Amino acid sequence: MLADLGGGFVTLLQPMTFLFLVGGFLLGLFFGAIPGLTATLAIAILLPFTFGMEVTQALVMVMGIYMAGIYAGSITGITVNIPGAPSGVMTSYEGYAMMQRGEGPRALGLSAFASVIGGLVGAVLLMFLAEPISRVALLFQTPDKFSLVVLAIVTVTIVSSGSLWKASMAMALGLAISTVGIDPMVPVGRFDFDSYYLVEGITLLPAVIGLFAICELFVQSSTPSRIAFGEAPEVHKRLGPRDFIPSGADLRTVGAATYAKSSVIGVLIGMLPGGGASMASFIAYAEAKRGARNPEEYGKGSIQGLSASEAANNAMCGGAIVPLLTIGIPGDAVTAIIFGVFLIHGLVPGPGLLANNFDVVAPMFAALVVASLLIFVSVLLFGPLYMRLARINRGILYGVIAMVSVVGVYASTYSMFQMWMALAIGAFAFGLRRFGYPLLPLLMGIILGPYFEEFLRRSLIVSEGSPLIFLTQPFSLLFLVMTAVFVWLLRIGPARRARAGLRE
Amino acid sequence: MTLYRFNRQAAFATFLIVLNTIYASQIPELGIPFAKGGEPGPAFLPVALCLFIYVAGLRILFTSMTAVITEDAPERSDTVPRLAQVGPLVVLGLTVLYLIAFPWIGYFASTAFYALLMSLFFNYESSGSLTDAAWKSVLTGIAITAFGWLFFVQLFGLFLPVWGG
Repeated sequence: MLADLGGGFVTLLQPMTFLFLVGGFLLGLFFGAIPGLTATLAIAILLPFTFGMEVTQALVMVMGIYMAGIYAGSITGITVNIPGAPSGVMTSYEGYAMMQRGEGPRALGLSAFASVIGGLVGAVLLMFLAEPISRVALLFQTPDKFSLVVLAIVTVTIVSSGSLWKASMAMALGLAISTVGIDPMVPVGRFDFDSYYLVEGITLLPAVIGLFAICELFVQSSTPSRIAFGEAPEVHKRLGPRDFIPSGADLRTVGAATYAKSSVIGVLIGMLPGGGASMASFIAYAEAKRGARNPEEYGKGSIQGLSASEAANNAMCGGAIVPLLTIGIPGDAVTAIIFGVFLIHGLVPGPGLLANNFDVVAPMFAALVVASLLIFVSVLLFGPLYMRLARINRGILYGVIAMVSVVGVYASTYSMFQMWMALAIGAFAFGLRRFGYPLLPLLMGIILGPYFEEFLRRSLIVSEGSPLIFLTQPFSLLFLVMTAVFVWLLRIGPARRARAGLRE
Repeated sequence: MTLYRFNRQAAFATFLIVLNTIYASQIPELGIPFAKGGEPGPAFLPVALCLFIYVAGLRILFTSMTAVITEDAPERSDTVPRLAQVGPLVVLGLTVLYLIAFPWIGYFASTAFYALLMSLFFNYESSGSLTDAAWKSVLTGIAITAFGWLFFVQLFGLFLPVWGG
């Protein structure tokens, strides 16, 4: 295994592959830092380009975007108090307070350093966990796989903010969309309305572009620029790389334990379906505050709070890849799109992928390590530029996104129908977003729908229609119990406590 | 006494229920959900989903009609009146026109106009000056069109109908 991992680093050192990593990293930095744009959007609009790339280059580029995008979510959070991504909220809370005290470069340096530590811990744990977990996953039978998909979709639904009914509706709509096209088990067209365009189903590319890129265009077009980008930050002209290097005293104040604990929290939450960077950063921040010597400093520019949040959200990247590669279940929007990158290149994520195509996956692991290190290089090189990043012209930004989204679908499919489909999904997604329906359950439904249905029907065929098969298989039972526990901990328990609080 | 009000939330929930009914109209063509021996067929999951969407949709509809909804007024733009409604309509209209024009007049002409007009909208909303927004948008339109061609066709070798027809 170590030799294979070494091979991944060697592949990454090839000039073209490394260029793709750096390109992806810069794209992720840009998209992560601009409020309203996210790493998810960057990977979504990259999806059409991956048709023209080798699979290794595509995956390496996606890893660069992922790591940089999560880190960069905190940049404008620190400089103008508008996080580029939801995962940067806690960092903004502390970082902007530092910025107001004139300590912006210090906050950016500490945030980058914590992201490096978190990213490296996540990548290393991914390398060591992936193979053992995938060996266990090879033992899963069809009912186990069905219950695992249930665990993923239920968890993603219940962790969505807002109404549970709306999140469940979004998930059901996603599953319904996935039923369009040829039936997965018998050669029967479904919901094609006698159109041969719909026989192949609603494919991942227009779904992803519509849900994330075109929908975002609609959202941004209805948002005034002063709200979207906030007040222009003060420009610091005389800053140099040294201003962004954290001091030894600051690192000691944060403490190795904070970095380690937050990173492990990030990895563990990343591994949970629906976990995501925001949850990782919130929990790590809360845990750091709980154990802090000076909790009263939190909210007023605490470097420990800032570092805990940043270490956790970048450690999440490695954690989120674990279930995708080992059991073939994406846990969030980014990994769901990475799932699509694999499918586009004829590879199916899961235990078989690691066993048979480790050479394809190893550069991905290496890319996560190198991208983590690039974070610190980036703050030294571009730190002064970060102070002005929120000033970019919206006309250029959304003009490029509009063109790449729509043309990208055509260039990848040569189908006008798919372009119209992306627009229709984008408009539909905008309606859902405006009325408070979360989009992640919808995407998870579209992606996992075919597996959900196939595993369910295969299991019921084996059991001659008896649903008890899901309770008599040990792994299946374990996943269903885990689902019930998550539902209790994340929805029922908090709701009961809230009701009890109201009665008092 | 419970007051029922048909608001925009309720209208959207009704729209989803109507979509579900269109979906449901195709289910009879798939046969019965369970074949012989209790084996689930192609209609099994769609029937289950359809029922669930009706239940969830009606529940959301009922909640939105009975709940007291205090909707935040959308943030107002200094330059474009009713931006929350106008903005998405502009994006939708421009994109529909682009998709119609793309196969007929080709990538270069359609993309240049699309990027120009999209950029004009965002620039005008930001600055409020039509002249300033216009010249920036012309440059942006040309640059974006060239960038797209370089990226899609030259760098990644993908096909685009550059001149249409």
